[in-house]
Amino acid sequence: MRNKLKERVVVSGVGCTRFGDLLETPELRGQSLQELAAGAAREALEDARIAGPDVDAVLVGNAMVHSSQLPATYSQLAKWTGTQLKAGVHFEAQCSTTNVGASLAAMGIASGVYDTVLVIGVETTRTKVKGHSPWEREPLSHQETWLWTDMAVNQAYGVPQGYDIFSTYNGLLALGYCRKYGISLEDYEKGMFEICRTRRLHGSLDPKANVQETLEEKAKRLGFANAFDLWRSEKENPFVAWPTRLMSLVTTADGASAMVLTRKDLAGPNTRPVELKGFGICARDLPWYDADPTVWEFDRRAWEEARAMAGIDASDIDYLHTHDCSHVSGIVTAEMMGFIEPGKALHYARDGRLRFDGDRPMSTHGGRHAFGHAWAASAGSDVYEAVLQMRGDAGRRQIPKRPEISVIHTHGYAMIGTVLVLGGI
Amino acid sequence: MAREEKIRKSDIQAYYEGLERGELWARRCLKCRKLTFPPTGCCEYCGAFQVEWAMLSGKGTLLFATHNIAPACHPRFESIAPYVYGHVRLEEGVVVQAIVTGIAPTPDALRKVFERGELPVVASVMKRDDLPVLTFAEAR
Repeated sequence: MRNKLKERVVVSGVGCTRFGDLLETPELRGQSLQELAAGAAREALEDARIAGPDVDAVLVGNAMVHSSQLPATYSQLAKWTGTQLKAGVHFEAQCSTTNVGASLAAMGIASGVYDTVLVIGVETTRTKVKGHSPWEREPLSHQETWLWTDMAVNQAYGVPQGYDIFSTYNGLLALGYCRKYGISLEDYEKGMFEICRTRRLHGSLDPKANVQETLEEKAKRLGFANAFDLWRSEKENPFVAWPTRLMSLVTTADGASAMVLTRKDLAGPNTRPVELKGFGICARDLPWYDADPTVWEFDRRAWEEARAMAGIDASDIDYLHTHDCSHVSGIVTAEMMGFIEPGKALHYARDGRLRFDGDRPMSTHGGRHAFGHAWAASAGSDVYEAVLQMRGDAGRRQIPKRPEISVIHTHGYAMIGTVLVLGGI
Repeated sequence: MAREEKIRKSDIQAYYEGLERGELWARRCLKCRKLTFPPTGCCEYCGAFQVEWAMLSGKGTLLFATHNIAPACHPRFESIAPYVYGHVRLEEGVVVQAIVTGIAPTPDALRKVFERGELPVVASVMKRDDLPVLTFAEAR
């Protein structure tokens, strides 16, 4: 594998909707899925100072067609995005979808086939089509969401035999992490609390986040004396896979994201592009780890490929997002990359070093817990945040020293590790 | 003379039929000799399609144990959730994750298991209405 881009490729435009609930969230209520996707695409196209007819290809991702009932998105969205008569494909890499899309777009551009590609991700994990209505939606139950989502997990021997994401992705990993580094379960509890507090602080500073209430505000609203009492409440924050609690996880969301990628020399004079300097993709079926639950070989390979293609190492990273459906998984990935010393992430969280104003800023949009998780759209929301940070447009959560190099890691169920390296121009 | 129709049985079906009998079958690669478990028609390590059936002992070591969420993500397990779910290394070296019986899915019970460290376990089969399920229990 040569692992090189033959041309320099940039992200010239980004777009992202508010993440929330199509039945409840004011900014989303009443929208169809077509309008949700088109909203993100429009923002990305306008940011790139182009329109739909200017792109050569459209890569549209949607993972859970059971709730969207929108396969063949390339044609179903064409009239909503101005992309009729373009090359198009519907694809998915689950929760890595948009960033695998960005990688495919970069390959298409750097090979000389396309000049400009539009990538869109759209997903509804809170609502589904009501009956056969073209526009009405209804709530999606917890079990439906996971039954359908888990169709991406080993259907021969995993799901039929009692596989459960909360056990596999959280509980077992947490225990492996604690035993490996000699962390007490009490310290683990406090560390997870601090990570959640940081995520929710970031969400409270992002007007597009699914959850914009800090942990302290929620504790006060529910009548707790302090946020840690809320954290330890079996009623409000139960164990979902001991020793992992509910608020160390993703929150589901409906949402869409989009980005425009083009050759560096084609980015318009009034655009503010960032370079896609490298990417890496690597997948593995269950189990995702061998005897040591903290060693994820496919993530290591994805990171190594992206790092080598971009010509960077861990010390170059100014901003990092790692996939944090599971908070403990997110920190294990950050430690594997070398952004945090192995076994020290909980200390970093406690000392505020992972905050937007800390020296190791991570997931400043709030990550999967606070920004929320709309499967195929989420990786694009991570790129959106990184681009805002690199442009200095992140508002109250702006990292004081604008990042030059951002790294975005995502997990696509089940399981594809994807890493993008973005660099300033 | 009527032509005999040969219908190939899926490896998946063969595995579950073996499990129903209390047997744990893997595939051994004829080239690199490594085990692929649960079985497929290809070696997961070297990619060779030349594989043979190999029965496993069912003996192993429970490395970690947690529990799942209730209600369960899949309707098949609704009536037994929450259940304990473990990370097991079989004596043949294969790592497998499966339901663990004989341990309560409570923080106190799971903490005791964690503090005891690695535990010897043996495979057993849980009968569900539509499918046998591989489980492990502490070896006595």
